[in-house]
Amino acid sequence: MDSEDVRKARATHWYARTDWGIAVLSYEDSSFLLKNPRLTQGSAKWPSQHGVFDGHFDRWWQKTLLVLEGDEHNRIRRLVNPAFSPRRIEPLHPRFQALAESLVDEWIDDGRTDFAGRFAAPYATRILCVILGIDERDWKKIHELASTIGLGLGITIQENIAQIDDAIVELTQYAESLVLSRRKSPQDDILSTLVETRDADAGKLSDQELINLIILLIFAGIDTTRNQLALAVEAFSKQPDQWEKLAADPERYAAKAAEEALRINPIGRWISREAAETFQHKERTIEQGTTLHLFTMTSATDPAAFDDPDRIDLDAERAPHFAFGGGVHHCLGHFVARADIGVALTTLATRMTDLRLGEGAEWLPDSGNTGANKLPITFTPRS
Amino acid sequence: MKIFVDQVKCQNHGLCAISSPDHFELDADGELRYQESFDEENIDEIEDAIDSCPLQAIALNRDSA
Ligand code: SF4
Repeated sequence: MDSEDVRKARATHWYARTDWGIAVLSYEDSSFLLKNPRLTQGSAKWPSQHGVFDGHFDRWWQKTLLVLEGDEHNRIRRLVNPAFSPRRIEPLHPRFQALAESLVDEWIDDGRTDFAGRFAAPYATRILCVILGIDERDWKKIHELASTIGLGLGITIQENIAQIDDAIVELTQYAESLVLSRRKSPQDDILSTLVETRDADAGKLSDQELINLIILLIFAGIDTTRNQLALAVEAFSKQPDQWEKLAADPERYAAKAAEEALRINPIGRWISREAAETFQHKERTIEQGTTLHLFTMTSATDPAAFDDPDRIDLDAERAPHFAFGGGVHHCLGHFVARADIGVALTTLATRMTDLRLGEGAEWLPDSGNTGANKLPITFTPRS
Repeated sequence: MKIFVDQVKCQNHGLCAISSPDHFELDADGELRYQESFDEENIDEIEDAIDSCPLQAIALNRDSA
């Protein structure tokens, strides 16, 4: 994604042809096409394209917000959006902060750690537990189930499908027990809000809709944050000046730090869309059924839209990036992600200096969801 | 009270139009169109629209009649 070839292609033309469809490279065209109503998500076919039909995973997938379109999508989205608003998330900041501090305490004196395993994974998972009101002691199990379901998005889905189906069954039971307990005794968490959500026209979210949603939140909420944190740390390790700037004024730069990391090093390297009808964009006719890949990292580092685009610049005014997608499928959890990434980065910056990547990192390939399974770092604790 | 959308911030994602279709809509070019005034009885769905906007571009101007 970050190769010279892609850069050269972006400088010459707004798209490139690939074996899997059209890759949209420029900022301007990505912005326009991402929100274009003629393009749909088009992900519903993913399992069947890989030889997976009608199992537990497939049946859940067909009903997730990620792939639903039209009225069914809009109704659920309308009901769940407010639960993820800044108003609901801001009061959770102190808990995010306390969690980040306690994880750093575990290894700060060593001068080194595996960032992916000893910060990113427990932090991302336990925040999700806080949000949904799951007992944080269950985090390892939740993390494992989320990773297994994550295999459903890999091109090896068919090899792993038995395991993935089992994880869906287990998580379904878990989600059912959560919904039941919140119906009996509501708590002050987002899950309770969702259980109580009412719709004047169509009643509540049905139990099945709630359970599908909980599985989606667990699956999509953990891996994305975990991986994005590793990518953010990688990006900042290359720019100690900006790391120091963040450490010197965390309040001021927290949100910007998260934004810049998402912009230059997003987990989702592309967003896929499918043309629901034939239409014309610039000189090109896009036939119905064509797949388009909107390259997020490439568009967000397009020199036509950003000055000095590959550098984190905490003082620059930047145009919005598309790391959270866009249009009505814009990421539901982005306020949570922005908040927890901002809190994590400021906590880390205020406690460590001389941040460097160590030997032996294990990176996932560039894909719809990249990141690190292992990310050794070294640093000097700040006194 | 009137609805005010910061057009510089707005990115035309259209989530407000899902929450409150009577007051917000995307036109044929995908640009946001909205009504400034609303009935007090619709305040809930307007607040949902405000909460849902990824850019937090919508505000209620409490001073204007
Ligand atoms: S949700 Fe926000 S960004 Fe999207 S169209 Fe409405 S006001 Fe604009």
